[in-house]
Parts: sequence; C-alpha cells; structure tokens
Amino acid sequence: MDMLLEALFSILTLEGLATILCGVTAGLFIGALPGLTATMALAVLLPFTFTMSPLQGLMALGAVYMGAIYGGAFTAILINTPGTPSSIATTFDGYPMARQGRAYEALAAATIASVVGGIIGVAFLLLLAPPLARLAVVFGPAEMFWVALLGLTLVASLSSGSLLKGLLGGCIGMLLSTIGVSPIGGETRFIFGIPALQGGIELIVALIGLFVIPELISMAAQGRGALPESGKLQGGAGSAIMRMGRHIFGKPINLIRSCIIGQIIAIIPGAGGNVTSLVAYNEARRFSRDPSSFGKGNVDGVIASESSNNVMVAGSMVPLLTLGIPGAPPDAIILGVLLMHGLRPGLDLFTETGVLTNGFILSMGFAAMFLLPVGLLGGRLIHRVVVKTPFYFLLPSIAMVTILGTYALRNSMTDVFIMMLLGSVGYFLRLIGIQAAPIVLGMILGVIAEKGYVQTMLTAVVDPIPWLRLLANPLSIVLACLVVLSVATTLLPGWLERSGRMAKVDSDEEKTS
Amino acid sequence: MTLRLNTDFAAGLFGLLFAAVLWFPREGMGRLSIIFPRAILVIMVVLSLALIVKAFTKPAAREVTIEGNPRRLVIMIAVLFVWWYAIDLLGFLVATAIIFFGLTWYLASVEGVVSRRRLAQWVPVVALLIGVFYLAFTQVLNVRLPSGIWS
Repeated sequence: MDMLLEALFSILTLEGLATILCGVTAGLFIGALPGLTATMALAVLLPFTFTMSPLQGLMALGAVYMGAIYGGAFTAILINTPGTPSSIATTFDGYPMARQGRAYEALAAATIASVVGGIIGVAFLLLLAPPLARLAVVFGPAEMFWVALLGLTLVASLSSGSLLKGLLGGCIGMLLSTIGVSPIGGETRFIFGIPALQGGIELIVALIGLFVIPELISMAAQGRGALPESGKLQGGAGSAIMRMGRHIFGKPINLIRSCIIGQIIAIIPGAGGNVTSLVAYNEARRFSRDPSSFGKGNVDGVIASESSNNVMVAGSMVPLLTLGIPGAPPDAIILGVLLMHGLRPGLDLFTETGVLTNGFILSMGFAAMFLLPVGLLGGRLIHRVVVKTPFYFLLPSIAMVTILGTYALRNSMTDVFIMMLLGSVGYFLRLIGIQAAPIVLGMILGVIAEKGYVQTMLTAVVDPIPWLRLLANPLSIVLACLVVLSVATTLLPGWLERSGRMAKVDSDEEKTS
Repeated sequence: MTLRLNTDFAAGLFGLLFAAVLWFPREGMGRLSIIFPRAILVIMVVLSLALIVKAFTKPAAREVTIEGNPRRLVIMIAVLFVWWYAIDLLGFLVATAIIFFGLTWYLASVEGVVSRRRLAQWVPVVALLIGVFYLAFTQVLNVRLPSGIWS
C-alpha cells in the first residue's frame, strides 16, 4: 500500500501529468492514421523516452499505448477505416452511425467506453495480476486452437445475409494468412515465385486494402465524401455526450460483459486486442434484444468493441509483468523498455521495484482518464475536418495516407500493390455478398488456429488417434463445448425461423398477451 | 447501374477458382506445412460447391447494383494502380504531386467545370498537404520513401 501511495505521488506532479497528456495525444494521432498501429506508435516514440527517468519513460509509453488503441476508433467511425486492427469491430456500427448523421454520438460512445475500459483494465491489473497470470500459462496449443475456433464462430454474425458466403470469406482469409513461411514446417507456401511474398501478407496491409480501398472506389463512383452533409453535428456536442453517457451507464450490462471478455482474452498470450474486440462485439450482438440492428448503426456494437480493446491495454500487461510473456505485440516493446532499465518481470517487479511498477500501472489509469478531454476535443476536430473537407480533396488525401501507412510497415511497394489488389477485388466481392470482415477475421485467427493445431498434432504423433489430443484436458473440453454452444446459439434462431417454429412461438405469445 | 448476376453462383465460382489457384502449388510441401491449408482448401471447395448448388435451387439475389458512375469506378481503380507504378518510377514526391492534383481535378469536375483560377488556388493546398505528410514520414517517423529515378 505504501508503494502504491508513493507511486501515486510521483505521478501527481506537473511533469508526470504533462508526460501522460503528451503521450495520450501523440498516441491518439498516430493511432488515428490508417496503417500506423499501436506497436508502431510505441516503436516510433520509444527513442524520446531514452533520456527520461525509468518511471517517466514507462508512463509516456503506457499513455501512448492507451491513446493509440483509442485513436483507431476515430477513422473507424468517420471513414470506415480501422486505424489499428483492434478497432475493426468499431467500423461495423460506428461508420453506419456516422452515415446516419450520428458520428459524434459514436465518437462520444467510443470515448466513454474507452475511458471506462481503460480504468477497469488498470483496476484488474492492480488487483488480479498474480492469480490471472497463473491462468494464462494453462493455455497450451490445443486451448489456443479452440480459442481461435471460438473467435471464428463470429463469422456467422458478420455474414450479413448468407452464412455460406461468410464462411467462404473466413476460408479466404485463413488461406491468405498461410502465404509465406510456414510457422511450424518452415517452408515457403503459395508465393508463386515472388520472393517478396515470403514474409506473407501483413494483416495491416489486408486490413487497409479490404476496408479503405472499396470505400474510396465507392466514394469516387458516387461523387460523395466519407460522410454526408447530415453527418454534421446535430444537437450540440454536450447533448451527444450526455445522451451516450446515459445510454452506457443506464444499461451497463453490455459494458461490464465486454470488459470481462476483454480482460479474459487479454491475459492469453498471443490473442491480442484484435480478437478481443471482435469477440466482445459478437457477444454484444448475441445477447442483444435486437441483434438484427447490429451492423446498421447500433451504438452497443461500438461500446462493446471500444471498451474491450481498451481493457486489453492494461489487461495484456498481466502476463507481461508477471511472466514476461507479452499479451499483445505492443507489449513486446514495453518488455524491451523494462529490460533496458534492468527490470525483470516476476515477483521482484512488485516488491523490489514496486514503486516503479505501480507507478507505471497507475499512469495507465490516468492516461485512460485523459482520453476523455483529449478524445472529445480531438474527436470534434477530426469530425469537423472530415465533414467540411470537399470530397475531391478528402479522397486523394485518404489514398495518400493509406499508401504511406502501408509502405511504412515494411518499406515495401509490394505491400502497397497487395493492398490495392485486395481492395479492388474486395470491392467486387462485397458486391456479390462476401464482406471484408470475415476475410480479416480469418486472417487473424487462421495464424492462431494453425499454430495451435499443428503443435498439438506434433505432440500427439505417438497417439493412436492424434486429434483426440485437442480434447485431452478439461480446459480444452470446456472451450470445445463453448465453440459448439456458440455455433448452436448462432444458428438455432435462424433455423427455427426458417422452419416456421419461431413464427409459431411468436404468434402463440401474441395470443396469450 | 444494375447487373444481372446470380451472386451465389458468382461467389461459389470465385471460391472454386481461388481454391484451384492454391491447390496446385501445394505439391512438394512437407506434411507440417500443408496440413492446415489443405484442410481449409477442402472446406472451401465444399462451401463453394454448396453455394453453386444453392444458386440453382434457392438463389439469394439475381442482380447486383453498382452505386454511382461505373466509369468513375473503373478510373479510380486504374488511378490507384498508376499511382503505385508512378511512385516506383518517379519517386513518392513527384508521383504523388502529379496524381493527387490530377485526381482532385477529375473528381471536382463531377460537380462542374473547374476554372483555371480554382486550379491555381489548389496548388498551395495540395503542396502543403503532400509536404506535411512527406516530412512527417521521412523526418519524424524515419521512413525512407521511394525516390524513383532521382535516387
């Protein structure tokens, strides 16, 4: 407790608070640029922390991380482009809301959800780090395989109309993720003699291509901007914030569920924020009284996605600080900074250097709180820019930023070509009912599923029936049951409706009422 | 513009073609490398065939609507690929300056004829936009952008 108080006082200085404020602002603007991820924001701003004291450096990086994850929501809502992969799910309802003239409502909901998510994540980290860390190591390859499959059940709710087309999209994504060097066998696959493909198709490249390019093509064909004139702020910023605040805290179940999902997935090393927000979105849809409104501008989708991905920021520090296992890619940079300052993850981090560790954790809580003023002001500014800029300036500007963002990932023009190719094909696939979301989901989860599956099969080579190893321990069985349950709850309503039984139940209810 | 197209059949056909492109190069790969893609390929073929069967028995939609002007759509796609090629050839700064300005002019002409005076007014705006992003990426983010034939 003494250490916690000492850490709190070391943050509550002008220098400490200014560091957090600058970190949040810088992270927000980098995160808002398509292609520039939270990992990149941390990597770019890392050298600036070398001259700082260890605590100040960690505070700055924690704030950048929090700001960057949240910043991804801005472009997701305003131009249907996830700034970071963790805000993919934000586009599903955020952009339709913006198109309906409710952009600031979506931004306000994303901000409030991110702040609450960030603070809850920090509280979880402070209170539950050691017991949760023990849970993290229980997840072996077989469990990761089931976690990936659980995420893939989301395809059903992203299919918007045809489950078969959604599943086909998921398969396309998984196959795209296998291009390049095999993670287990080490051989190159499906590179068609092009050496540049050895590194595979970067997720961000596909993400930008599949989400941004079809939108750009569509904007050019229709001669319109990203948001219609009705996208201008209606009723004032204050009323939008109040309305969203009342909505979120009036029915907090969605927020609480998303935060819990975010925390659980965050502690599993390798799952990362990309999966977190997608799973939280799926569950929000599944438990909603009006699931059909999701994907058409339901604010609960934005709240689920943004609260869970900001819980993940602090949540993914649990395995990092206790076991030295980064829960998500940006955590690897934080680990590097810890090691650079001579700090080794483990119990010592909470005892010998407790002031520093607690200071770092608390600073993330302050960073989450700073998201509110910075985000609401920044949101208004960016919203105004997107609405006011004529479409003939906005469209080439977005194209230029996506080219720059894609190129900057690996300094590769091949990546830019792949981005444009995927985007152009994605536009036509969208026309025939294959959406971008299942493809991207397949790409994210394909890698996790393949590693889990092949590693499990390798450990089971002497078993008479190798695949039974996937169900060898209780946790695997629980996860497999959850997959079956998830598939059943997704498919059952549709099947009942088609077979006419749902209509019968409804009419019976009407009669009794 | 509305095209007559059975979307289930088109999606199934695309799935089969995609699977075929990846099916043939799998020969010679080790078991560990092919085990997962092979499983997905098989699932994909089954899904594609199911879609084709559905296309004839219970089709979803028989027409596709392309919103807006199809010519502008094709030109936009072409411009993107020309932009990519031009960056490799002329470098980021020159290629982007030319294509950004050209694209702005083309899109603005949708609303009516663009006067020379208006074009002249855009020059500093476009230069500023490109300059800010160029400097941000090269100086702040330390990204070496392609310089094409000028290198």
